[in-house]
Amino acid sequence: MQQVIWTLLGAHVAGVVLAAIAGFRSIRAGLAVAAFAPTITAIWAIWLFVSQDGLAGADGPPTSELVWVEGLDLAFRMQVDSLALLMTLLVSGIGALVFIYAIGYFAPDAAGGATFPPTLLAFSASMLGLVWSDSIWTLFIFWEATSITSFLLVGHKNSDANVQTAARRALMITGVGGLVLLAGLIILAQDVGSSTLTNLAAAEGSRATLAAILVMIGAATKSAQVPFHVWLPGAMAAPTPVSAYLHSATMVKAGVLLVAVMGTTFADVQAWKVLGLAFGIASMIWGGVGALRHVDAKLILAWGTISQLGLLITLLALGTGKAVFAATSILFAHAIFKAGLFLIVGEVDIRTGTRDIRKLGGLAKSMPITFAVALLSGLSMAGAPPLLGFPAKEAAIEAVLGLSGWEQIIGVVSVVGGAVLTVAYTTRFLIGVFGAGPDTIVKPRRLAMTIPAVVLGFLSVAGFAALGLVNDIVRPAAIELNAKSEVYGLVRWPGIKTAFVVSMAVLIVGFALGVGAAARKVASAPNATGADAADGLIDGILSNTPRFIAVVQHGSLPVYLATMTAAVAVAGIAFTDQVSLSHLQLWDTPLQGVLAAGIVAAAAAGAAVRSRLGATLTLGATGIGMSGIFIIHGAPDLALTQLLVEIIVVVGFVLGLGQLANQFPTVDNAWRATRLAVATLGGLAVMAGLAASSANPSGVAPIEDLTAGAVNDGGGNNVVNVILTDVRALDTLGEVVVLATVAIGILALANTRRAEA
Amino acid sequence: MIADRSPIVGHAVAAITPLALLIGTYLLFAGHNNPGGGFAAGLVFGAVLILRTIAGVQKPVDAPLLMAAGLIVIAIVTAAPIFWGDYFGDQAVVSAELPILGKIKSGSALPFDIGVTAIVIGLVASLLDGLSLIDADGDLTT
Repeated sequence: MQQVIWTLLGAHVAGVVLAAIAGFRSIRAGLAVAAFAPTITAIWAIWLFVSQDGLAGADGPPTSELVWVEGLDLAFRMQVDSLALLMTLLVSGIGALVFIYAIGYFAPDAAGGATFPPTLLAFSASMLGLVWSDSIWTLFIFWEATSITSFLLVGHKNSDANVQTAARRALMITGVGGLVLLAGLIILAQDVGSSTLTNLAAAEGSRATLAAILVMIGAATKSAQVPFHVWLPGAMAAPTPVSAYLHSATMVKAGVLLVAVMGTTFADVQAWKVLGLAFGIASMIWGGVGALRHVDAKLILAWGTISQLGLLITLLALGTGKAVFAATSILFAHAIFKAGLFLIVGEVDIRTGTRDIRKLGGLAKSMPITFAVALLSGLSMAGAPPLLGFPAKEAAIEAVLGLSGWEQIIGVVSVVGGAVLTVAYTTRFLIGVFGAGPDTIVKPRRLAMTIPAVVLGFLSVAGFAALGLVNDIVRPAAIELNAKSEVYGLVRWPGIKTAFVVSMAVLIVGFALGVGAAARKVASAPNATGADAADGLIDGILSNTPRFIAVVQHGSLPVYLATMTAAVAVAGIAFTDQVSLSHLQLWDTPLQGVLAAGIVAAAAAGAAVRSRLGATLTLGATGIGMSGIFIIHGAPDLALTQLLVEIIVVVGFVLGLGQLANQFPTVDNAWRATRLAVATLGGLAVMAGLAASSANPSGVAPIEDLTAGAVNDGGGNNVVNVILTDVRALDTLGEVVVLATVAIGILALANTRRAEA
Repeated sequence: MIADRSPIVGHAVAAITPLALLIGTYLLFAGHNNPGGGFAAGLVFGAVLILRTIAGVQKPVDAPLLMAAGLIVIAIVTAAPIFWGDYFGDQAVVSAELPILGKIKSGSALPFDIGVTAIVIGLVASLLDGLSLIDADGDLTT
């Protein structure tokens, strides 16, 4: 069981490579190859659900852990618990269907075969990693990976300026949200002292409040909650398989999932609940209103998704056992019906050439199978029996009715209001796309598109028929989030109770509203005011960045050096009171004094000399003097390296000097005095720091540990080098990355100069 | 080219190159137990590169390729241990009995050091490239 996580993730990674190779031949071949990994993952998830033992088998849930830095609690940690398994079923199950669908969606000669299938599969793998994560750091990495792959997928048709803007907007909003989330996660991990998601301790206090607010904002950006929702309608510029998969069923659920998982941790934080309710209710209502205003069938669904995500966030913010159970059920039902509806919109788009509900007509007759699927999925979305959406929405209404005080009033009003709007826009969608009108010319059916949609439509019915199995899938997940969920279950026929009466009233009112809205002629699509504002902000930041950079990165080397040295001087102040003069001694051997005198003399000469060559040579002399000091201290390694560095640096300088004037340019006295002062203070600060640290040794010098460790663990007698390659290998890795970065900078400068010449 | 104009320089560079390469290689391998190491070795190789470039007998080195290869080697060597449960950057030590050479001991520190060497050479090569020392005829521009 422990190997299964790596096997499945490995299958995805291999699939990405193979899909890219196959995609070179044709996009359809790439998609067919890419479908493999999600399919086996989905089969594995289904097998776990139907088998007797399931996750509670002898081994417990599959877990995996790769420790990176133990002391910092940095580990790559994964665990497939019940909620993760539920999400796995959605991510991979719908993923497999979407890949098959995309085979029909794209023309055989469509461009982007080598990029689209592997990117979509990379998203699928990132999403799996996200839902399997058991460490907040692992979760964050995959969270960002989904943002990036989503950006690439939205921008698939990257020759279109509107698509570019939409993709950039999605990346910016979810990317900034990701940074806000990271800040919140860091504060949380510091506060509770752990980064493991399962059994994350409850947080309270002012730091917990700050963390809760940041995490909730991060979740809201990902799950397109008002006012961050503006990226989601724009993301509909993506090919429809992407919209169906990322922007309805999976990625936008990541925020919901995070709110669900963090629910227990922040249960006692008032701000968590208030902010969650504010986001959720605003999105539920504004999303529903938006869905009633648009004429593009895909945008109607996108705004509907904002509304549904708002409902999920609202229920999870309420956090009662029943609300969490309802949220889990709706999460499951929504993924199925919304993906189905998106697939249908894509099929309508491909077969008629438009998604504008004003132009579509007579599709109920000309596309009967599609219509049947749309009806089933749509009625499930509206919460009508006998479909899966009905018991889920019943559970939500019961959950808010079961609250007390102000929560009950707010909960009932908003959830019922949202439900009415949902029924209304569903009705308008179905009438608009499939109702009467001028008959639209319809191209022949593509089987690869029809089958996945039919499967999803069928699942909305089958889910209701096999409600016991659905209960077995969603209830364990809900129990993990809130143990009080245990007593609840989805019921096929609730009996004439308050919730049922409310539910029927919602259907009737919503239907009437929807018929009315469908009859109303909409001249043009509403303005995307929010999206324009977001784009304006992004443009403003981008256009002002060069000016900001010009101020910070002025390009004057002396000023850079002075700034850095001044910073060192300021940092040295902290050490001054720890310097103990009695600790200081003149030298260990007089030879040190001789070398030091030489170094000081060379440095003074270097500062005074006017010629560049002179400065170079005197600088080299100080370095060689230093390597002499190292030899006296018995460090031949350092001495050797120092000597070699000095040689290379001096030779390099001398070669470069040929392109400069022989003398340094004259500087005015004020600037010279400033530099002198800064340099003196910087030097004094370094002295103070060194004197302070040698005067206050803490503990025993680690030399014995290091020597023994070098010989026993590192297998070498040269302690310095074992430190570099073994004990502090991470530092060395960082240093060589810096070296390589510097080299790339040099090459870039050289190329710029050549281009100018 | 300087080496064409001055036979002394030409012969000296030709004589020094193999010696310096030998010293660099020695430093690379000796580093684990004696003074030396990947960084020092890279500097010696870099010095050879500079010398030969000034003499005009050196073809340009692909600095980005060297550095990329070095970084990849180091990243793999440091990250690999976590996949079999050791900590990040842990070193594997192997020893073997070889004919003639006798018992030798080495470990993952060797590829790590080779990676460092490659990056340092790449840095020096970038430096030379950045200085644009050689014009199209292979002559020093200064």
